[in-house]
Amino acid sequence: MTTGSLFKKLGTHVLLLALVFVNLVPLIIVLSSSLRSPKNMTNPLNWFNEFTLESFISAYTRMNFPVALWNSVVLTVISVIFVVLFAAMAAYPIARIRSKTSKFLYIFFLAGLVVPGQMVLIPIIQMIKGLGIPLGQYTPILMFITCSLPFSTFLYTGFIRSGVPEEIEEAAYIDGAGIFVRFWKMVFPLLLPVTVSVVITQGVWIWNDYFFNMVFITKSIDAPLPVAMLGFLGDQQNPAQWNVLFAACILCALPLLLMFLALQKYFVGGLTMGSVKG
Amino acid sequence: MNSAVMKKTMYFFVLPALVFYCIFWIFPIFKLFQYSVTDYNGYVQSFNYVGLDNFKQLFQEEVLSISIKNTLIYTAITVILGNIIALMIAVLLNASISGKAFYRSAFYIPTLFSAIVVGFIWSYVYMPQEGLIASFLEKIGITTWDTNFLGSYSKSLYSIIVVDIWKNIGTSVIIFLAGLQTVPHELVEAGKIDGAGKWKLFRFITLPMLATSVTINITLSVINGLKAFDFPFIMTNGGPGISTNTLIFAMYKMAFTDQLFGKAAALGIISFAIIIVITILCVFTLNKKEVSA
Repeated sequence: MTTGSLFKKLGTHVLLLALVFVNLVPLIIVLSSSLRSPKNMTNPLNWFNEFTLESFISAYTRMNFPVALWNSVVLTVISVIFVVLFAAMAAYPIARIRSKTSKFLYIFFLAGLVVPGQMVLIPIIQMIKGLGIPLGQYTPILMFITCSLPFSTFLYTGFIRSGVPEEIEEAAYIDGAGIFVRFWKMVFPLLLPVTVSVVITQGVWIWNDYFFNMVFITKSIDAPLPVAMLGFLGDQQNPAQWNVLFAACILCALPLLLMFLALQKYFVGGLTMGSVKG
Repeated sequence: MNSAVMKKTMYFFVLPALVFYCIFWIFPIFKLFQYSVTDYNGYVQSFNYVGLDNFKQLFQEEVLSISIKNTLIYTAITVILGNIIALMIAVLLNASISGKAFYRSAFYIPTLFSAIVVGFIWSYVYMPQEGLIASFLEKIGITTWDTNFLGSYSKSLYSIIVVDIWKNIGTSVIIFLAGLQTVPHELVEAGKIDGAGKWKLFRFITLPMLATSVTINITLSVINGLKAFDFPFIMTNGGPGISTNTLIFAMYKMAFTDQLFGKAAALGIISFAIIIVITILCVFTLNKKEVSA
């Protein structure tokens, strides 16, 4: 390696490290402050000048962490299962059949991407009451599933079109296997890569969503993590509350961060799936 | 295999998704059109039809023009600045260096945070006097700058735009990086041998090969920008005054704070029209570019 290219590499590293630092500096300060006791009011810029879990304990009890975490898990898991089933099923005929109807359905679903959830919400509260659907812990799931359908159906359709040729079903078809058997036994298992992508992209937004949860969930015992965070609203204006607020921020983000660190490969692959296949 | 009977049975598979989608997504949009010509307040079930009064009122109020302007500024800056920065980071990361996975994760981490957490963290960053930026400036001896970022009419909108870019840049970086990795190395080498400079290599070889990633990133960020709601809601509550109202935020506030569902529905219809027109224009332009590139 020549000295020239060595310098170039060093330069790239320095530049990237500087960018990473600027990017992560708010998070570093949040972490360092969360490790202080709630009474420590020295400027947050003095990093890591105390190590105690007092603020974490206080945040943990205030947001009722185990309950909120469990609620988040329940909401996300149920929603994602339905999204995967519904979107994969819907994509199957849309990808397989070449007709005006299937083309229309494809665009009809995709068009839903541009609709803001807040806009739909105004009539939906009335409708949900009208349909006799009880408002409560599980109501947001309806919106999570619906909101996720456009993008997930788009991903599945693209994948089936380019990656699951009709020929693989031919032998089973000749043997008389019905369409349900062929879909669930042959096609669906082949969709695993794109299912990973759907689970990750949709799972992350559902896990992090505060909006539908905030609107539909009224009891604090039913609140998932982002809604539990809403209880700290106002504290960001008050420096005396910062250490506990920051500990709550870390607690709220921690499950997903750990998940990301453990499954990094799948996160990156899942995100790029739709973009490369187009 | 493609018999007509087969096709009909196959369409059964669309039903569950279609039922959900129509009930909870499409039907409400039609309902919104109905509400937009009423004086419905969301609580009392009886309402009167008031014709186009809601629209007439909106066109006379400042909030409509300000929210349209803010939404357009928000979208333009997040799309242009966000994608340029993301592309630059992706190009840096695409160089053959060690620790690529570390850098990539470092840029990606903010996207994993809930908007509510991001809002809290950045409220601290922007706090006057004791916030991150204010106390940093004080440390290095600059005390004359106005550090009231979120409370200032001229700065608050741009301050929340920065937050949006920070939160979403990781996704764009990863999509650009995947696109860059599809650029054949031989093509770049051939360009070098032909004496093309760095900019020319990028402009005429890399960028055309990135067309798909550019289309995806720009489309996603245009939609994201036009639907902007989170940071005005969490960080500024639309203020100071109405200076950080976006269309969707203004609509939400009209419905749930002012209890003017009818008027909010009318604003929703206007927003919907704006979003659709801009998205379609953007998709068509990008598709044309993609083909010609």
